[in-house]
Amino acid sequence: CALHVICCNAGQFFSSGHTNNWAVLVCTSRFWFNYRHVANTLSVYRSVKRLGIPDSHIVLMLADDMACNHRNPKPATVFSHKNMELNVYGDDVEVDYRGYEVTVENFLRVLTGRLPPSTPRSKRLLSDDRSNILIYLTGHGGNGFLKFQDSEEISNVELADAFEQMWQKRRYNELLFIIDTCQGASMYERFYSPNIMALASSQVGEDSLSHQPDLAIGVHLMDRYTFYMLEFLEDIHPASKTNMNDLFKVCPKSQCVSTPGHRTDLFLRDPGSVLITDFFGSVRKVELTMDAINLTDPIKQMEENPVNGEEQKEVYSYADQLPVSEIIHQKPKQKDWHPPDGFILGLWTLILLVFFKTYGIKHLKHIF
Amino acid sequence: MAAPLTLLLIVAVTIRAALFRSSLAELIAERVEVVSPITAWKRVVEGLALLDLGVSPYSGDVFHETPLIIYMFHFLVDYAEITFMLADVITAVALYMAVKEYNKQVFRKQKFALEADRYPMDSLELIRSPKEMYYIPLKVAMFYLLNPFTILSCVAKSTCGLNNAVLALFFLSTIKGNVLLSAIFLCLATYQSIYPITLCAPAMLYFMQRQYIPVNFRRVSFWWFIVQYLFMYLGSLFVLICLSFFLLGSWDYLPSVYGFILSVPDLTPNIGLFWYFFAEMFEHFRLFFLCVFQINVFFYTIPLSIKLKEHPVFLMFMQLAVISIFKSYPTVGDVALYLAFLPVWSHLHRFLRNIFLVSCVLLACSVLFPVLWHLWIYAGSANSNFYYAITLLFNVAQILLVSDYFYAFLRREHHLTNGLYLKRKDGSEATLILK
Repeated sequence: CALHVICCNAGQFFSSGHTNNWAVLVCTSRFWFNYRHVANTLSVYRSVKRLGIPDSHIVLMLADDMACNHRNPKPATVFSHKNMELNVYGDDVEVDYRGYEVTVENFLRVLTGRLPPSTPRSKRLLSDDRSNILIYLTGHGGNGFLKFQDSEEISNVELADAFEQMWQKRRYNELLFIIDTCQGASMYERFYSPNIMALASSQVGEDSLSHQPDLAIGVHLMDRYTFYMLEFLEDIHPASKTNMNDLFKVCPKSQCVSTPGHRTDLFLRDPGSVLITDFFGSVRKVELTMDAINLTDPIKQMEENPVNGEEQKEVYSYADQLPVSEIIHQKPKQKDWHPPDGFILGLWTLILLVFFKTYGIKHLKHIF
Repeated sequence: MAAPLTLLLIVAVTIRAALFRSSLAELIAERVEVVSPITAWKRVVEGLALLDLGVSPYSGDVFHETPLIIYMFHFLVDYAEITFMLADVITAVALYMAVKEYNKQVFRKQKFALEADRYPMDSLELIRSPKEMYYIPLKVAMFYLLNPFTILSCVAKSTCGLNNAVLALFFLSTIKGNVLLSAIFLCLATYQSIYPITLCAPAMLYFMQRQYIPVNFRRVSFWWFIVQYLFMYLGSLFVLICLSFFLLGSWDYLPSVYGFILSVPDLTPNIGLFWYFFAEMFEHFRLFFLCVFQINVFFYTIPLSIKLKEHPVFLMFMQLAVISIFKSYPTVGDVALYLAFLPVWSHLHRFLRNIFLVSCVLLACSVLFPVLWHLWIYAGSANSNFYYAITLLFNVAQILLVSDYFYAFLRREHHLTNGLYLKRKDGSEATLILK
């Protein structure tokens, strides 16, 4: 019956569990010859914006300014394709953290939300426990670390701990982590929080290579992995039903030279049921209806395939940060400091001794 | 003399009570010229609060006073204002009685010298008469109580007032001739801030003079007296330190109090010379310059003692002044103590050469301190150099004051033995200068 169909569709509405989308896009390298990293980040930014995530939900961190760099022969542009086919800088780029503000500390503060009260909203990741977050990192990396600004690095352990903090503070529903650096797979090795899916452009021991140089601009414009991912994303539109398994197939070894990797063991849903637009877009499912719908019946969830046949994972729950109940009900300790009795005795004996020594023993008989 | 003294005490207590009740009290309590990290009342309250919470008051860099202060204020914290006013009153009364006794001795010595005909004829106008010396004790008490520096220090509830009281009691017991009490009060003063240890020398010299022990290195009686005095002094110091350990149950007051005074880790600006220097000191040289600056306090004792071995009370004044100028965290309360002694040497006024300059500079600097602080910290249009310039000028004026009195004193002594109108060998007029 129609009602049953609507109920099933309503179940499909809430299958992914998220109500809003966020994106944190970080380019960690500076200097003109790292043009491609900025172009990487900006192309992902462009796709994500095109698919519906607004600027207020994107935290864009660019460590250097390529569009207005002195060495840019075409100022105010950042190209992602040779022959200057695609300007990813555009007219409406909103960079939230620029230049020297892109540091490990700021990145971790954005993720965990521990920012000073004076930070403006555009610099905050105001996600909640129904947010799907896309985190994209690019730059120079190594086995277990990612270099920021040529002066500091973030390690995979720090990143994993930051994600665990986010999980414990209920700052995400599901997280998609994409990293395009050399040995990128080492960065997601240490994740241990649930609901994280990770993709990397190369395995440990491999370098991610850049795509093509543009002879007019003089530098390499994009990295291979992000280039092919951008091509893939250009075909996605807000209503497309492409799922994550297709994203895993982007940039095979023949095109990328390095072997892209991915990690889905922490993710509760089957990647085949996760839509690209769950992370890259901000899709609001709207269905117009002229009929009144009776929602008293409990909404049945779509049958979920068991996740690769693994056993049921333990139920994750909110960890208590502070034993608040103990603190509230604790009575203040009434201990008041008093000097030791022996001390008082000794001090006053001394004072009396000095007094009698000074003024003579004869005074004693006036007291006793 | 009791009535004017009582009147003076009442006036002084009234002024302080009025200031305590006004809104100026908090303002004054924050001024860096009046309180230092050692003497601030805020820190005493913090230490007591920490103690009530079960934590050692010396944890963290908050409290740098001695455990006996904790003991005293544990019971007196609600009567703190009365305590500090009482300390000022005790200081004034002790100084009054001490100077009265000292004047008696000065006059007696002078009488003997006159009878022994030791003064040449033309220096007789330098002789002092009891009439002119009659009001000196009252003036000393007045100089101490009504000095704006003292009033500020009392209203700020700085523990410097307590230190001054102990030093005044030490002075009184020394002048009266009580060796034990003098050793004990000096020990208390040293226990609170290390520098009064240099006052051992003038105290010992005074007692030796009083007991007619000749100050001669070859005499056994000289060394025997030194041993006695030092035994009493060091014994009471030892007892005090052990008592303090017993009070709080740990030794961590030693680095917090004495380590703090000697190693100067806190570089808050004050009216002293240490902060600016050590703010810009490289770590490599810090220990060296710390030693140099600290030795500067103790260094003048031996030469001054040798020069002034017949005048131990003047030596005490000089030593107090040196301590107040060169200590690591001076405040205006320390300055006030030695300024109180100036009426005792009022007979030197005809030999003082720079007194106008010194008083103008001291006045100007006292006014400029808060002005440049405001410009530096609040307006932002000056920097620390401006404030340090005033600090330097203030200290230079103080040193000039002290050396001027030294010159005047020595010159008077010279005139008393050699006559007032000095002549060179060829008969022309000569002047004495201090080189």
